[in-house]
Amino acid sequence: MIKIEKWEDLNLSDKIECDHCHLEFSKDVMIEDEGHYFCCNGCQGVFHLLSDEGLDSFYKKAKGVKLDPQTQQFEDSSNFDAPAFYDKFVKRTDDGFSEVSLIIEGIHCAACVWLNEKALINMDGVVATNINYTNNKAKIVWDNDVVALSKIIDMIRAIGYNAYPYDASLQELKANEERKDYYLRIAVAVFATMNMMTIMVAQYAGYFSGITEDIKHILNIGEWVLSTPVLFYSGWPFFKGMYYGLKTKTVNMDTLVATGSLLTYIYSIYITLTRTGEAYFDSVTMIVTFVLVGKFLEALSKKSIADTLDIMSKNLPSDVKVVVNNEVVTKNVNDILIGDIVLISAGERVALDGELLEGNGTFDESSLTGESEPIYKSVGDSIISGTVSIDADIKYKTTKDYAHSTMSNIVSLLENAMNNKPKIQQLANKLSEYFSSTILLLAAITFVGWYFYSSNFEQSFITAISVIVIACPCALALATPVATLVGLSIASKKGILFKEASQLETMANANILALDKTGTITQGRPQVVNEKVLEKFDTSLLYSLLSNSKHPIAKAVVSHIYDENLHCFELESLKNIPSQGITAMYNGKMLAGGNAKLMKTIGIDVESSSKNSEFYFAYGEKLLAKFELFDMPREDAIEAIVKIKKMGIDVIMLTGDHKQSAQKVASLVGITNFEAELSPEQKANYIDKLHEEKNVVVMAGDGVNDILALASSDIAIAMGNGSDIAIEVSDVVLLNDTFSSLYDSFKISQRTFKMIKQNLGLSLVYNMVTIPLAIAGYIIPLIAAISMSLSSLLVVGNSMRIKLGYKDK
Amino acid sequence: MDSWVIGMMMSVSIFLGSIALVALLWAIKKGQFDDEEKFLNAALYDDENELNDAAKKEKKRKDASKKKEYIPE
Repeated sequence: MIKIEKWEDLNLSDKIECDHCHLEFSKDVMIEDEGHYFCCNGCQGVFHLLSDEGLDSFYKKAKGVKLDPQTQQFEDSSNFDAPAFYDKFVKRTDDGFSEVSLIIEGIHCAACVWLNEKALINMDGVVATNINYTNNKAKIVWDNDVVALSKIIDMIRAIGYNAYPYDASLQELKANEERKDYYLRIAVAVFATMNMMTIMVAQYAGYFSGITEDIKHILNIGEWVLSTPVLFYSGWPFFKGMYYGLKTKTVNMDTLVATGSLLTYIYSIYITLTRTGEAYFDSVTMIVTFVLVGKFLEALSKKSIADTLDIMSKNLPSDVKVVVNNEVVTKNVNDILIGDIVLISAGERVALDGELLEGNGTFDESSLTGESEPIYKSVGDSIISGTVSIDADIKYKTTKDYAHSTMSNIVSLLENAMNNKPKIQQLANKLSEYFSSTILLLAAITFVGWYFYSSNFEQSFITAISVIVIACPCALALATPVATLVGLSIASKKGILFKEASQLETMANANILALDKTGTITQGRPQVVNEKVLEKFDTSLLYSLLSNSKHPIAKAVVSHIYDENLHCFELESLKNIPSQGITAMYNGKMLAGGNAKLMKTIGIDVESSSKNSEFYFAYGEKLLAKFELFDMPREDAIEAIVKIKKMGIDVIMLTGDHKQSAQKVASLVGITNFEAELSPEQKANYIDKLHEEKNVVVMAGDGVNDILALASSDIAIAMGNGSDIAIEVSDVVLLNDTFSSLYDSFKISQRTFKMIKQNLGLSLVYNMVTIPLAIAGYIIPLIAAISMSLSSLLVVGNSMRIKLGYKDK
Repeated sequence: MDSWVIGMMMSVSIFLGSIALVALLWAIKKGQFDDEEKFLNAALYDDENELNDAAKKEKKRKDASKKKEYIPE
């Protein structure tokens, strides 16, 4: 527990910590309660609740972690008991309990998890709780006859957290199960491979320096025991893959791995039992282990669509306030009809499209348009779902139902786009398909040929198997993963994260780069580029006026004029005029700062001729200064775009902005090809059109207005400060958010792809040499053993050259 | 050295190793590694109280299941 005496000692300092949330506040604003201090009633309530429930050891466990103060006012939790909610989120377990998946908000530390679990399990009727600290997802099992879900939610809220349900959709569950399945199989494979290696040391030593037949036999049996679970348990996915392949009449990599390892296994058993020649159990385990790990890495990096959509729907409210018969009722968004009157207060997000009836204020539409300027709306203007009311308390009439509102449309379009994301067929897979079928065919021909030639079944069978064994795709299987691994590690060192290994290959084939303008090519905030002082004035006046505005233009001007000698005057009757500027009174005269429109309303005639945004400053009806502002391109954009163009990649700019500013930015960074005034859907359509012309498109963007285009491109790149959703949709994330890393990601992927091609070539050459020898029956164990490891070494060594080549540059 | 010694040592070591492997597989299956953060923080919650809590939790689940079974009677 926190010692009170300690606070007494610290009396001199004016800031103390709240005993619940541990945020620091000045002592005189704190609520004092029997020696404890709290920043608000919420914290005080939670603190007492925890002591009453005997849960106060939470504070000891949390060790001063700062929590969110308990200030939120929650709506009635009774909607959690609604039948519709139960239908959607609550499952019945086999033994008759109810189960729900929740996301718990406000979890900061392991102690928070402890507190929630403990508080819930202490409730009557709660049977089991499991809260995952990593992703804050909770599973709660309770007896519905004893306690209602709303009571459980109330408890979570009472102790200072909030919970909202999520659909533990089959997709996510399936992905988790698949991952776990891989863990198990890999654990077995790695265990067996490591033990196998110790035995192989003895085998190889014995091969060169002599070994008695008996000991070799025992070692072979040991290998047999170890390789059996690897082949049949760890290698099971390959057999399954082969089965599905056969069903659809395709030969895939799985076929080759499965037949190769199975035949090697059978062949080795034969060798072990007859005590002739060399067994290849080690090849069986190695092949299965390596290829399985490669497959697992691929599965691990695959994004789950479910997670993205979780984030999207979290951004949309599920309930809205509706006016029915002059009363305000909370309704689920799906129950709202066209023509209903909906209330929105400041800070809320709009769920349904509509038309404004009463009130006015500014809306943040950046989630749709990407433009950061707030938009002023008054009666008759359209209200768009997904936007946020900044300061507006309004009533509006819905013109669309929830399912047809803009944001729901974007969510469903996104779902579509992500499911149908174009995938370039991977070179290695294509190659291995031909390769696999050729080898199987060759083996069959060898068997038939030898059987007719020698009429010796045993010899023909072993020769045929040795063809498959020698060709078994060790080098081929390693060709792609090793090269991509090296490529990925270089990329991550440069702050470029590829979410899927295969994307390196896709990106290397790209021939078009589509860029968003605001926030991607440009810095996303205007800067003063031109300043014209018409009459000398005290900059402190301008400073005191503008420090009252949060508008990006005001901020830009402030940062332009700022120096330490500035001070704030006391201004009177300050007025923010939406989409015009700001006015105030000082010494009986009017101060005004804003655009040309504002100047006209206060009676100053200005000529606006510039392509840039303009800001005028007037005092007492006299124009004093004029600033021109422009959202400048990033510093490294020009150089990087030139380099990317040199690689033979077309650069196109897609923007929602108007033509003039698009033209200006495009000419500044050297882009000749651009499309302006595009809506989010139009951007996506444009990319689809490029696909139809057989182009491979890389799209880079940062905002929600780009996500549709990002999702429909082959490779989506989110710049580091992009919105969460944009990062979620993207395939590549640039951590240091620069254009040069965009260029690097192109270069690394192209270099890696070149290495993959070389590796495949090398392993094919190896096979072209060894397979004829095997067919002719000349392969002796020594050659097989050496050439197999040699080919793998060659491939690994070659891949390392990506690194060397990169350092030279 | 007689070859049975090698055979015996090999089988014993594989057997011992496989016990550890089975324990690992069991832990993965039970979901003990599902939450890496909690797993790493487990040391903080490892005294008598937590053991008692775990026992209580198990008992509660059992009792609740039993009670459920009585209802049809």
